Amino acid sequence: MTTKPAFSVLLMPLFFAVGCNESEVMSLPGDPAKGKMAIAAYGCGSCHAIPGILGANGRTGPPLERIAERTYLAGVLPNTPEQMMRWIRIPEAIDPLTAMPNMDVSVNDARDITAYLYTLK
Amino acid sequence: MNDRVPKRLVARARHRLVVRLTIIGVAVAIAMVAGAATFVFWGAYNVSALQQHTEPVYTLLNTALNRSIRQRAEDIEVPPLDDPAMAEQGLRYYREKCVQCHGAPGISRDDVGKGMTPVPSNLAHTARSRSPAEIFWTIKHGIKMTGMPSWQFIFTDAEIWEIVAFLMQMPRLSPADYQAWVAEVKKASTSATPPVSTPDPERGRLAMYGYACIACHRIPGLVGPQVDVGPPLEGIGERRYIAGVLTNNFDNMVHWLQHPTEVDPLTAMPDLGVTEQDAMNIAAYLSLLD
Ligand code: HEC
Ligand code: HEC
Ligand code: HEC
Repeated sequence: MTTKPAFSVLLMPLFFAVGCNESEVMSLPGDPAKGKMAIAAYGCGSCHAIPGILGANGRTGPPLERIAERTYLAGVLPNTPEQMMRWIRIPEAIDPLTAMPNMDVSVNDARDITAYLYTLK
Repeated sequence: MNDRVPKRLVARARHRLVVRLTIIGVAVAIAMVAGAATFVFWGAYNVSALQQHTEPVYTLLNTALNRSIRQRAEDIEVPPLDDPAMAEQGLRYYREKCVQCHGAPGISRDDVGKGMTPVPSNLAHTARSRSPAEIFWTIKHGIKMTGMPSWQFIFTDAEIWEIVAFLMQMPRLSPADYQAWVAEVKKASTSATPPVSTPDPERGRLAMYGYACIACHRIPGLVGPQVDVGPPLEGIGERRYIAGVLTNNFDNMVHWLQHPTEVDPLTAMPDLGVTEQDAMNIAAYLSLLD
C-alpha cells in the first residue's frame, strides 16, 4: 500500500515520545495495512465495532473508534503502544477478570494491529 | 415650480444617505464579528483565575446572574424555616460541604476557596441580600462557570431547606456564637436515607451531570468535554459485558456504578459514592442507549 511509509513516519514521533528503549523502538512501528488484514483474519470484529473493518460491529467488547485517544486500555492500563501490544497478545495477564480471550496473536501481527488501531483517532 | 427641484434633490439626498448608512452599518457589523472571532481564536481573552473581570464585565455578569436566579426562584414554595432542629442539621451539612469554599463566621475559606474567580460569596452577606427561595435554587442547581457546584444529587430538597434554614441564621451569628453552636452539634449526627423508588431514566441522565461522569465518558444525550478516559457509552445498552468483566444486566450495572473497584480491583473508574437510587436511575438511562 502507498500509505505505508506515510503512516510509519507519522507514527514515529509517537513512539519516541512514549520513551521506549532501543529494542522497543526497533520492535515497534508496524504496518497499519497489514494490521487491518490481521484484524479481519483474527475476527476481532465479532466482538468489537472497528472503523474501517468490513462487518466489524460486535457488541461484546467496547467499540474501538478513537481507541488511539483513549486514556486507559480496557479501563486498567495507561494507553501506550507497548501496552496495546501486550493487551492484544495476553489480555488475561493484564486483567485476569477480563472477558477478552487470548487469541494467540503473534508478535508481528500484534505490532501491525497496534499500528492500525493507532490510526483510529 | 420653484420648490419642485429641491424636493427631488432632497429625495435623492435622502436615498443616498440611507444607502451610505446601510453600508456603514454592515461594515461595522462585519468588523464586530471579525473582531470577536479574532479575540476568541487568537486567545486574547485571559482565562486565568487570578485575572479578575473588568468592572463593566463584572457588573454585566452579576446582573445576568441576579436576574436569572430571581426568575427561576419565583415559583418555589418556601417551607417554614424557623425550627432550630432544622438549622442545626443544616449546620452539619454546611460544615461538611460548604465551609471549605465559603468560610463561616470567624472561619476562613480553605485554599480551594481562596484561589477561585469569582471568589465564593460570603454567605452571611448572601442571606441578607437574597430570599430563601433564591438561595435554595442556587444550592440545588449550582452556578455555571463559577465553581459553585449543584448539590441536588448529594442532598434531597428537604436537606437543602435545612441548609437554607441554617444560612438564614448566619447573619446573626458572631464568630463566638458560631463556635459555640459547632461545639454543641459535634456530638451526634443523623441522616436518614430516602426510600428507593422506581428507576427514572431522565433523572438518571441528569444525575450523570451531578456525578461528573462526562469528565471521563462520551455519553449520548449529555453535553460535555467529549473525552475518552473511559469507553464511550454509546451502545452500552446492547453491550454484552460491563467493563469487559461483568455480564451486562440491570442489577450488575447498578452494582458497577456504585462499586466499580469492587467489581474489578484494577479498574481506573473510581468509586464515586453513587447512591442506590441514582445508580438505578442511571442504569435505566444507560439501558436505553443502543
Ligand atoms: C470474544 C470477544 C472478543 C474478541 C474476539 C476480541 N476482543 Fe478485544 N475485548 C473484548 C472485551 C470483552 C474487552 C473489554 C475488556 C476489559 O475491559 O476488561 C475487549 C477490549 C479490547 C481493547 C481495549 C478496549 C478499550 O476500550 O480499552 C482492545 C484494544 C481490544 N479489545 C482489541 C482486540 C483485538 C485487536 C482483537 C482481535 C485480535 C480483539 N480485541 C478480539 C472482547 C473481545
Ligand atoms: C475518572 C474517570 C471516570 C469517571 C468520573 C467515571 N468513569 Fe465510568 N469508566 C471509567 C473507565 C476508565 C472505565 C473502564 C473501566 C474498565 O474497563 O475497567 C469506565 C467504565 C464505565 C462503564 C462500562 C463501560 C463499558 O464499555 O463496559 C460504564 C457503564 C460507566 N463507566 C459509567 C459511568 C458513569 C454512569 C459514571 C458517573 C456516575 C462514570 N462512569 C464515571 C472512567 C470513569
Ligand atoms: C468549590 C467551592 C464551593 C463549594 C464547595 C460551595 N460553593 Fe457555593 N459558591 C461558590 C462560588 C464560586 C459561588 C459563586 C460566587 C459568585 O457568583 O460570585 C458560590 C455561590 C453560592 C451561593 C450564591 C451566593 C450569592 O450571593 O449569589 C450560595 C447560596 C451558595 N454558593 C451556597 C453554597 C452551599 C450551601 C454550599 C454547600 C452545600 C456551597 N455553596 C458549596 C463556590 C462553592
